[in-house]
Amino acid sequence: MTGPLFPQGGPNMGQPAPRYEGRAKVTGEARYPSDVRLPRTAHACLHLSRIGRGTIRGFDLTAARAVHGVIDILTHETVGDAIRQTPAIYQGGYTSDSLLPLGSAEIAHWGQPIAMVVAETYEAAREAAQRIVVTTAPHPSPAVDINAPGAETRALEPMMVQAGDFDAAYAAGPIRIDARYTTPAQHQNPMELFATQCVWEGDRLTVHEPSQYVNSVKFGLAEQLGVPADNIRVISTHVGGAFGAKGFLTQRTALVAIAARRLGRPVKLVATREQGFTVSGYRAETRQHVQLAATRDGRLTALRHEGWELTSRADTVAMGGASMTTRLYACPNILGRVNTVAADRSTPGFMRAPGEVPYGFALETALDELADRLGMDPVELRRVNDTQTEPVGGLPYTSRSLMRCFDVAAATFGWSGRSPRPGSMREGDWLIGWGCASAYYPAQAGNSAARVRLTADGTAHVASAGHELGQGMTTMMAQVAAEELGVPLERVTVSLGDSDLPPAVVNGGSAGTASVASAIMIACDAIRARLGVPRDAPYAALRAAVAASGLAFVEELGEARAHGRSPESLPDMYRGRALPLGGVELPDRVQFAMGAQFVELRIHRWTREIRVRRAVGAFAAGRIINPRTSHSQLLGGMIWGIGSALHEHTDIDQRNAAYTNANLADYLVPVHADISEIQAILVSEEDRLVNQAGVKGVGEIGVVGVAAAISNAVFHATGRRLRDLPIKLEHLL
Amino acid sequence: MDTEKHDTTAPSSNRRRFLVGSALSGTVPFLPHEAEARAPLAARPPGDAAPGFALHVNAHVYQVALDPRTTLLDALREHLDLTGVKKGCDHGQCGACTVLVEGRRELSCLSLAASMQGREVTTIEGLATPDGRLHPMQQAFMNHDAFQCGYCTPGQILSAIGCIREGHAGTPVDIREYMSGNLCRCAAYPNIVAAIEQARDQGEG
Ligand code: FES
Ligand code: FES
Repeated sequence: MTGPLFPQGGPNMGQPAPRYEGRAKVTGEARYPSDVRLPRTAHACLHLSRIGRGTIRGFDLTAARAVHGVIDILTHETVGDAIRQTPAIYQGGYTSDSLLPLGSAEIAHWGQPIAMVVAETYEAAREAAQRIVVTTAPHPSPAVDINAPGAETRALEPMMVQAGDFDAAYAAGPIRIDARYTTPAQHQNPMELFATQCVWEGDRLTVHEPSQYVNSVKFGLAEQLGVPADNIRVISTHVGGAFGAKGFLTQRTALVAIAARRLGRPVKLVATREQGFTVSGYRAETRQHVQLAATRDGRLTALRHEGWELTSRADTVAMGGASMTTRLYACPNILGRVNTVAADRSTPGFMRAPGEVPYGFALETALDELADRLGMDPVELRRVNDTQTEPVGGLPYTSRSLMRCFDVAAATFGWSGRSPRPGSMREGDWLIGWGCASAYYPAQAGNSAARVRLTADGTAHVASAGHELGQGMTTMMAQVAAEELGVPLERVTVSLGDSDLPPAVVNGGSAGTASVASAIMIACDAIRARLGVPRDAPYAALRAAVAASGLAFVEELGEARAHGRSPESLPDMYRGRALPLGGVELPDRVQFAMGAQFVELRIHRWTREIRVRRAVGAFAAGRIINPRTSHSQLLGGMIWGIGSALHEHTDIDQRNAAYTNANLADYLVPVHADISEIQAILVSEEDRLVNQAGVKGVGEIGVVGVAAAISNAVFHATGRRLRDLPIKLEHLL
Repeated sequence: MDTEKHDTTAPSSNRRRFLVGSALSGTVPFLPHEAEARAPLAARPPGDAAPGFALHVNAHVYQVALDPRTTLLDALREHLDLTGVKKGCDHGQCGACTVLVEGRRELSCLSLAASMQGREVTTIEGLATPDGRLHPMQQAFMNHDAFQCGYCTPGQILSAIGCIREGHAGTPVDIREYMSGNLCRCAAYPNIVAAIEQARDQGEG
């Protein structure tokens, strides 16, 4: 029998405790938001624009209304001013884009919601939505992608990074690399669809919606509907994967809320898989330009990284990865630039390692090109340029274990057995390629609160509005409280995913654990202080202290302020504005989790079929509270990296910017058969500075660098350097 | 427009088969008369005229009357409140809706509920014993951390049981091939394969 793949522990690691909600998930008892049953529910179905940018001339709703069971149809003509225009998150607001839902006859992009049917059954709503007839005037030549003639390029000056004199140093560089890369649009496609259920009781609204940030939904909706935020509760107990897609308030929520108010009944919307491609944000396509100069022994003398990222006309959104890739390696002369290219598309958003995946692909491939030019081992090239201080401002890394990760992963992989010359490793008709790349992700945190209650019977309860997205938040919360108080783990219960609980940071940016764990620790400290119980007191002493206090329970609220946030920022979390901060954004230091990715692939000599045979990643991310769930996140991330390199791209119709593969048969994600041997190694690391919990987060780093390791392995196998993702066999013919 | 069971005779061969009362029927929507009056005949689905039929799920018998377009997936989720079965695509592309029909894995989003008359459907809710003992596949998934968000998990577990029964779980390569209809976006794949091997070695399927 096979033992579990996850590690059992190690230095600065907690116990690999089983998932708190594991039983609920394997029995089907876990209720995701669309599983919540509300009496008298009416069902909604969206109708999305089937043209690109353009104008609605009119609706013919006769056939739709005639469908048996239809109750209401919302369009810009029927909603009136029920929804207010409010700022998007990029302007300090809450919504994921700044289009007013059903706001006017203007269509900004293909797939924009332009109507919503409400009916007695799902079947009737779906049929009626299909029977809506829209007369439209399409714009003659919408800008469909980052290369379209009508797209507008704008340089983002605040994202510029500069050190030394790049131009002069590059001109003088003994060895130079100058290369351009592209990465495609990609969609998160969590398995759970974008669902929303709304129910009003008098003037109080309850929303059931899968979310990474219930408080953003709550406060954003309050603004949009002109309802006091206190009257809104958002519940998201289980989330069926998010990956950035469920971070902020999308247009659908207000529509469902006003439909439920009009009807005086609960309304349930489950957007289809295809609709999900424009209901929320996505990873925008990029173009990138990297120039490197180095001495003959591999020391970088000049580094320039410029990116162009697609955005919508309505919103300027940029992930700005060049502000990070310019600070990872020692180099005296640096130039980083970011541009947006606005087209007639829906507003992009966050997708697992949003800046690090595309920009990391370009930089780590360019470094491999440099290593090849120098005749140097790519691991050694990273070693020569490793640094403990960030090169632009000279700020220290709180901790950095990049080369330890490389050494551990290289040894496990057997890297020393590599024959460096491209095309020199073969097995029969298969060309073998070995490649590697660095992984990095900013260690971030946001202001968060948690309440811990210790009851006289010796049980503890932890509550915070963080989210269980599958990353193991619930288990982590129980473990931290158990460890801090000395209460047995099985005697700790957890509540999360509810805006009525103490607020937490948006669960994105790998900031959830670091932020919420810190808040729990503060609350536990306060409980022990109140009871006068020292830190390592035995459980019996703790219980005795509660009994002696004469109280039924002792409860404390912990509020953790993220490093770099002012004390005045704390109340912001009570208004749904707790966002992650860290990485290169701090005034006094930089903080990153680091890792090393190694990949072996084989390419068939005749068919050019590409198979990843094995991948080894090693990651150092500060304290690992739960090696089981952390390991699973890293494995999942690495597999995402394989998808990102070889499978995933959203196809864009050149006439109207329609997404032509908006389904799971044509938008390819890795399946069982694509994945064989994947090894994720947790490299122990201690960082007492990064935050109270010493946690850097592992949700995203696993995906970073894999695409570059794969493109580098393709080069090693074939001698062909591919700079455009995804890499497909036709590129190798 | 649909109602839950009233009376059906349970086959005595299965001790777990018993009747489900109409507890759910109060929550099932009825079409308001206005809507009926407004609907021209041509656009009216014959739904409300649909004859009732029996759905056999997890050894329970449900008497239902559903819009004939209702998929097994929507019938289970929206009408029988068996929400362990998940909708990930509604197009037969993801496997989240996998159930066992007569012991074989099927995609409930591609089956009409009406086509299930007289066939025994097993959902994730029907795997554990009535006293709460998990099916060995459920236990194996927990032991190996074979899920993260858990959304694909009911489908993976039922599909894995079907995979072993079909004799397609002999090697990791076979498991991967024959489980490829079940997507896991959290990508718990290596752990799922390990879990299936454990259950297989325990002789379970
Ligand atoms: S919901 Fe049936 S296969 Fe996806
Ligand atoms: S566990 Fe999340 S999709 Fe499989």
